[in-house]
Formats: sequence, C-alpha cells, structure tokens
Amino acid sequence: MTSILAISKHELLSLRREKLPLVLLVVFVVMVSVSGLIGWLTNTTVSNVWNKSTQAGLTNASNPFENVSPLYYSRNTVIYLVLIGALMAIVLGVTSTMRDRKARTLDLVLSRPLSVVEYLLGKTIGVAIWLMAVLATVGCISWASVAIIIGKPLGVQDTTRLAGFYGIALVFLMAFVFLGMISGIYASRETTALLIPISVWSITAFVLPQIGTSANPVSLLNPVPSVAFPGGAFDALNTLFRPLSVTEQFKGASGWLLSNPEVTGYFIASISIVFIATALGLLTLLLTRRDRIRGALND
Amino acid sequence: MTNSMIIAQKELLDLRRNNFLIAVLGFVLIAVVISVVVSATQFGVKLDAYNIYLQALKSSGNTTVPAAPQLYPLQLLRGSVEYLEILGALFAIVMGYGLIAKEKQRATIQLLYSRPIGRSALPAGKIIAIAVAWLVAVATIFLAVTLTVAIVGHASFTAIDYQRLGISAFITWLYLIMWSALALGLASWTTRLSTALIIALVLWLTVVLIIPQMGDTMDPDNQVPGGLFKSLGIAKPDELAVLAQFSGFDTARNGLEVSSITKHYERFTFAFLGIKDQFNQQPLGLAWAGVWNNALSVWFAVFGAIGFALLVTTRKKLLRRTQ
Repeated sequence: MTSILAISKHELLSLRREKLPLVLLVVFVVMVSVSGLIGWLTNTTVSNVWNKSTQAGLTNASNPFENVSPLYYSRNTVIYLVLIGALMAIVLGVTSTMRDRKARTLDLVLSRPLSVVEYLLGKTIGVAIWLMAVLATVGCISWASVAIIIGKPLGVQDTTRLAGFYGIALVFLMAFVFLGMISGIYASRETTALLIPISVWSITAFVLPQIGTSANPVSLLNPVPSVAFPGGAFDALNTLFRPLSVTEQFKGASGWLLSNPEVTGYFIASISIVFIATALGLLTLLLTRRDRIRGALND
Repeated sequence: MTNSMIIAQKELLDLRRNNFLIAVLGFVLIAVVISVVVSATQFGVKLDAYNIYLQALKSSGNTTVPAAPQLYPLQLLRGSVEYLEILGALFAIVMGYGLIAKEKQRATIQLLYSRPIGRSALPAGKIIAIAVAWLVAVATIFLAVTLTVAIVGHASFTAIDYQRLGISAFITWLYLIMWSALALGLASWTTRLSTALIIALVLWLTVVLIIPQMGDTMDPDNQVPGGLFKSLGIAKPDELAVLAQFSGFDTARNGLEVSSITKHYERFTFAFLGIKDQFNQQPLGLAWAGVWNNALSVWFAVFGAIGFALLVTTRKKLLRRTQ
C-alpha cells in the first residue's frame, strides 16, 4: 500500500511539472468557463428572436427555451469534455507510462519490492486524483457561472445533478486515460503512442456514430447524441455500433443529468456502457506483463 | 540535381517506408469512403421510402405525384470533406512534425549540415516532399471517393463535376500542406520537440474543433432540433427579416467562425461541390464570386505557413542542443 501511495505521489508531482497536460488544462478550464456565457448569450438571442417573431405575428409557437432547467446553460461543457477533456486524458495517460520508459527509470523502480499491478495502480490513482481536482474546479466554475446567469444559487437538486455529471465525466475521462496508458506501454515511439489513442478517439467520436445515424462529423460536435436515421440497415447498424461509441453514450448520460430536454434514451444503459468501457480499460492495463512495461523506445 | 531536390527525394523515400504513416493515411481513406457509403445508402433509403409512398398514392387512386428526391452526387462528399478538415489536419501535423523530429532524435541533422548545403535547401526540400506526398494522398482520396460515389451511389458525373472535384482537391492539398508546414516550422523553432507538439495540438484543437463548434453553437437556428425557424413555422423571407434585426450578434458569430482557417476551407469546398444549397448546380463563376475571399485566406495561410517554416528552419536553430 505504501509503495502504491509513493507512486501516486510521484505521478502527481510529475503531472504538475508536465507542460502538455497543463496547457490542455488551461484550454479546458477557459472553454468550460466561457461555455456558460455562450449558452446564456445564445439562449437570450433565441428568446429575443422569438419575441420579435411573436410581436410581428409570425408565430404562435411557445418560446422553445421557456421553462428549461438552469443546467441547460452548461450543456456545451459536455462537448468540451468529449473534445478537449478526452484528448487531455489521452495525453495524461500516454505521458504517465511513457515518462519512465523515456527516462529508462523503470528497471530501477521495478528493482524495488513492487509488482507491476501496484506500479500501474499507483499511476492510475495519481492521474485520477489530478483529474478529480480539475473536474472539481471546473464544476465550481460551472456552478458559479449558472448562478450568476440566473441571479440566484442553484438548488439542491440541480447541484446534485451537476455533481453527478462531473462524476460520470471522471469515469468517462478515465477510460481515455487507460487507453493512453496502454498505448504508452505498447507503442515503440512517442508520436505513435499519442496517435493511436487519438485515432481510436476519432473512430469512437465520429466514425461509429456516423455509420448508424448517418450524421456528418461536424454535426457530431454537438452535446446531444445523434439520432438513428430511420429505415434501411441504419437501425440495425445503430443497434450494433452505438454501444461501442462511448462518446455518444456519455452525451446521453450527461444530457439526462443536465436535464437537457432534447436528450432521450436509456440513461442507465448509457451510464453502464461508460462504466464498462472504463472497467475494461483498467483490466487491460492491469494485465500488462512485466517484460512489456520495460520495453525500450525506438525514438 | 539541387540539394533541395536531393533532400526531397530522400524524404519521399522515408515517407514511403514509414508504415505507420501509411496506416494513418489508410485510416483517413477508409473514414472518407465510409462516409460516402453512408451518405449514398441514406439517399437510397430516402428513394425507397419515396417509391413506397408513390405506390401507396397510386393504389389509393391519387394522381398527384410528389417531387422525387434528387441525387446530387457531389453532395455525398460532405462527410468526407469534414473528415479531411478534422483528421486530415491532425495527420498533416504529425507528418510535418515528424520530418524534423526524426532528424533531431537520430542526430542526423549534424550529419546533414556537415555537407555544403544552402540556407533554405533543407526546409525547401522537406516542404517539396510534403507537397508531393500530399499530392499523391489527396489524389488517391479524391479518386477513391469519386469511384465510391459512382459505384455505391449509382451516380454519373458531368465534365463540370470533374472540374468541381479538381478544384476541391486542389484547395484540400493546400490546406493539408499548410498544417504540415506549420508543424515543421514549430518543430524547428522550439528547443524542445514536445513543446512543438503541444503548440501544434492546441492550435489544431482550437482552430479545427473549438472555434467552428462555438460558431455553430451560437447559430440561433441550431438551437432547436430541425431548426429554430422551422419549429416556429417561419418562412425563409420572414426568417431573413427577423435575423436582420440581430445583425450585431450574427456579425460577431461570423467573425468568430472566420478566425478559423478550417472554416474558410470548408466554405470554399462546400460552395464548389454544391454542398451549400445556394451554390448547388450553379456555374463555377457564381461559386467563385461567393467564396473567393475564402480561397484567398487559405492561400495566405498556406504561404504564411511555408514562409514561417522557411524562416525558422535554419542551421542555427536546428543545431541547438535539443532537450
């Protein structure tokens, strides 16, 4: 247990010194901070458009944003987690396992009474603590932004939902951390180690949802999961491929937690798939052989 | 043969031998082809639904024939263009970065500069290699998607369609060279290779994904599934009249979008391929009149990136002690 904690502490120290995760963290925090502002600005514009249209007698429809939850202002955070968050998690994972391979310090570390499982668990805990701190900060910023926009503190129910959203975000990001860590262990070059998980991410975020729903890549940069195109083989393909797209499942789970009225579907199924993906990632990581983890780099 | 051409030849040989890079380009190729297949299948499903509806109308004695869905083959390339703007740009960065990173990591840069080569021979040679490599890759990708549209979409092309495809392939080539040249310049400019990769990845994330996504999010019509104005039952002329009252907001949104070179590339390609309805089946001159400024922006960006790469890829910078 002591050795796991020592590895975790070292991981946290190293992460604090790494540049790439820190730069991505800054981009992520800035984007989440402005997402509330963008949400408010857009909602206000839509309400003004509706007002003008009603006054001109062009429509009898009700305001589409009437009675939406205050958490609706945070809906864009979902997409920043899928874009920036997942990439940040991949970089964290890759740098975590690559660092010791690059510095050739693994032989020394593993010469101590420490198993590979303990070593990898220590690294996982370190990264998880770092991500928890990031998401807790971002969550507080989100809470404060929404409170400023609506002019009062968020209620207990909305606060719980927001906390739940950042909780599931942690599980979702850990899946990409594990992907990055595995790539960092198996790849022979640093560039390859980064590119393979990024390619997997792009398959998950763009290719798989497109096959089932026919949605184009740019339209998938949306906090709402894409809907299956009716007819033909699309329904069957969507049933087959949708569960594999962790990003779409995360959007589904987040939409429910953030009370987004546009999101429909089975929340339990979505959240379960996110958990299963993360658990599989952890299991694969912990099954790494001792000789594999000590593999030299070709760079 | 000049030193630049010798370096370019050697780089092309290296790129041909790089299995990983070939696999990555193969992945982009598969993604763009899948996208065309999905779009063509979607059209087939729409056509089948129309035929069933028509049969039902006929059997009920109704003589009204609704308009059949029209296939515009080049519109099936929308997803493919989007893949090229997102994944193409990412892999272009990796290619450009790799050309300098490998020299620094293997310490072959010292060997190269032990030969009497001119100031710009090394960057020029590498940029020529990038241009040739992307020419082959873009030609292969466009040939593959054209064949897929013809086979899966059962489409036939006219002479003007080939011109549209050629122009779109050319701007795609420029766009990808820009990202590779930028990454090459960054890898030469920074003392640490990892810093170059950080800057390039953050630029990619911001320019390719975040800014266009923000612009898209701020579009009032995108706020409601199916479109705000459709959901409110407002016709197009009235929609334009209402939106005219929010010109300030729209100018800010558009300003944000055009700060991304990816959006310029997208607008130009969508106009020439007729993906944007306004330019569909219109003469090439009309598309040019509408998006010449986007072409100019891509043109400036590519020359800016090449200029940056040529300026910073110097003997002094490359022979600095790499950390």
